[in-house]
Amino acid sequence: MHEIYSLSTYAISPDSVKCIQGYETIKAEYSAYLTDESKINSTPFDYLYFPRNEEELAAVIKDLHARKIPLTIAGARTGLVGGCVPQGGALVSLELFDAVEALYQNPFSGEWLLRVQTGVSLKTLDGMLRMKKFSNLEVSQDEFIQTELERFKNDQASYFYPPDPTEMSASLGGSVVTNASGARTYRYGPTRAWVRGIRVFLANGEYLDIPRGKYFASPAGRFTVYDTKGKSYSFTIPNYPLPRTKSTSGIFTAPQMDLIDLFIGSEGIFGIVTRVDVALMKREDKISIVQFVDSDEQAIDLTIALRDNPNLQMDFLEFYSTNALNLLRERQQREPSAVGMPMLPEDAKSAIFFEMSFDPRAEKMDFSELEKTIIQCGASIERSWIGYESRELDRFKVFRHLIPETVNEIIAERKKTYPGLHKLGTDLAVPDEHLRDMWKLYRDGCTKGNFEWLAFGHIGNNHLHINILPRDLKDQENGLDLYAAFAKKAVEFGGAVSAEHGVGKIKGKFFKLMYSDEQIDQMRQVKNALDPDGILNPGDIFGN
Amino acid sequence: MKIVVCVKQVPEVTNVQVNPVTGTLIREGVKSILNPFCEYALDHAVRLKKAYPDIEIIAITMGPPQARDVLLRSLELGADQAFLVCGREFAGADTWATALTLASAIRFAVPDFNLIFVGKQAIDGDTAQVGPEIAEILTLPQITYGVEAELVNNLRQIQVKCEIERGYEVIEAGLPALVTFSKGEVVRRVPTLKELIDSRSKPIHIVTPQNLAIPEGELGLKGSFTQVVKVFPPQEKKNGEVIQNVDAEVAARRIADFLEERKFI
Repeated sequence: MHEIYSLSTYAISPDSVKCIQGYETIKAEYSAYLTDESKINSTPFDYLYFPRNEEELAAVIKDLHARKIPLTIAGARTGLVGGCVPQGGALVSLELFDAVEALYQNPFSGEWLLRVQTGVSLKTLDGMLRMKKFSNLEVSQDEFIQTELERFKNDQASYFYPPDPTEMSASLGGSVVTNASGARTYRYGPTRAWVRGIRVFLANGEYLDIPRGKYFASPAGRFTVYDTKGKSYSFTIPNYPLPRTKSTSGIFTAPQMDLIDLFIGSEGIFGIVTRVDVALMKREDKISIVQFVDSDEQAIDLTIALRDNPNLQMDFLEFYSTNALNLLRERQQREPSAVGMPMLPEDAKSAIFFEMSFDPRAEKMDFSELEKTIIQCGASIERSWIGYESRELDRFKVFRHLIPETVNEIIAERKKTYPGLHKLGTDLAVPDEHLRDMWKLYRDGCTKGNFEWLAFGHIGNNHLHINILPRDLKDQENGLDLYAAFAKKAVEFGGAVSAEHGVGKIKGKFFKLMYSDEQIDQMRQVKNALDPDGILNPGDIFGN
Repeated sequence: MKIVVCVKQVPEVTNVQVNPVTGTLIREGVKSILNPFCEYALDHAVRLKKAYPDIEIIAITMGPPQARDVLLRSLELGADQAFLVCGREFAGADTWATALTLASAIRFAVPDFNLIFVGKQAIDGDTAQVGPEIAEILTLPQITYGVEAELVNNLRQIQVKCEIERGYEVIEAGLPALVTFSKGEVVRRVPTLKELIDSRSKPIHIVTPQNLAIPEGELGLKGSFTQVVKVFPPQEKKNGEVIQNVDAEVAARRIADFLEERKFI
């Protein structure tokens, strides 16, 4: 079915919604809302709204729509590309949309699902699932909710929501509209793979309920939306091919695609997602392994060997380059307790960090396939770290985050001398067969340019974060040129210019490397049909 | 030289919940780990072994069959063999009955021990009594709250740096001796994949009540001078509104709004 009807909430006055008016007041008292983790600056905006429910949100949208005032949506403001940094108009924060609405099991697939409002953070969601404690639901009078909750609690298994985009303070909504991924995307796919339904408010203030598997594009690639006033509007989905890598560069499309996928990863330019049904998965015991190797090239060989071995299933494969390990070593010498791990082996030149399923109680522990693969790459299992208790897994996770954290500290220090200085971090992904080529480009480019740099990240998905730490503004300028050259090459290899950070207001330049004007125009046509006045998230993806 | 390390299995979190009806700990969803202080004790044994490779490290625990997990962990971290003191008769033991059982088990399984290392306390019971009680039962010199240990005087003595209220003191004792360990500067060890694989072929022996020649009346609950009559969480204060996982500024703003709405400010 490619036709869908939008619905309307009970109408209320927008005056009842909490709103901070005037840029000066917002700047003085709500300065956190002026930017996000991208640290780019907003342009002055006049309204900051805190709707508490969908009726209030609808009232705000309708009011702003009538007054042709653009609105930017904010979740937890953890994005890295300025998606929720307003460019005038109004900022609507969904932070009060923080309820769990239902927990239920799909009777056919047996899959457990959680219906959550989009302001809930991933950390809160994880905590609720670990404890099987959902305060909203506990007090519900609804018999169905109570029955399902009790069944869930009585289920011996523990469940989790697989997408793990590193930043656990991100809101669920933010992670859905950016199709957030992360290390575990290697095994479980990005957020898209776990979304089973959404409710999305359109620019006219009406909403669509879109369960996965119900609304598909017509063979000609069309969707038609009917509103409550009898008006209808149609659009054709873009027809460009998507990169063969994980990607958050531009709008998702596929022949006869599911309508839900149009909104997931669209960075909020088509509508405002207020609730999501996410699928849960049974939690398994895991083991984390850091395998030290002799060179970055050997790490790449090991990655490819592990990936190609059909008998090994890793949850993720992460990389630490030689200079990333050196950075950690320096930090370890300076502040051993901050690192919280034993000293890095002196002869370790690079490392691969991976996780796999594991039964610590098993009588016989068969790691022969893994051991064989590691040895064949010239590495030794005597130079590794393992951990499987949850406190150990957490310790490894902290260790992984220490690289970007340390880089940020160094940049913050340099910023004192050069206020305009910032880190240059790539977010490019390429298809499997180009991992070695891309690494060679990174290594040679950074070395030749005499940059201070390091590499880490999701090597399993050929998605490395090359971080250039500019020493001054000239260095930064040169680094930006090099970044652009890397992006161009990644596109030539069939990759993505933004694998997980999205386009937002920062990566428009790279976005245009990936898509032709005609293809961008196809995206714009969808935008024009769903948001003809262009009031939703102005400046995101398409620029101004 | 043989070093016995006494280890204990404890819940992974310290804020365990108690079933209000039965008064027992809610164990569902709470995993068990090797008590961190026992891990520090084991770490000191492993450090000594690095300096003196002839040292044999023997981990021992008293507990139900699932306590085998902490022995596996000890073997991964460097113990050479392990003993699980296991039997229904041991259930419900207080610190005295535990110490008596462990002391007897050590005498039975490792009669030629030179040192006994224990954690200063377990993070669940927090009594810090079992180590000193074992030393008393075995009439050993004991040094408590150690943070560094060194073998001196031709391996005939142990020298231990100990925490005291306002600093440290260094104490020596002739072997055999017992030392309890505190955290100190230890960064918890991380085993290698090789150590994990090797650990699964190291032996775990079972010690039963019949091996110990202690009258049944001195074991477990029957042999305990103290009993836990009731376990209960502290009286819960009325739940306030918790603001978490948001920026400090947003949190401050919400608190300000809350106070403003109630006319406090």
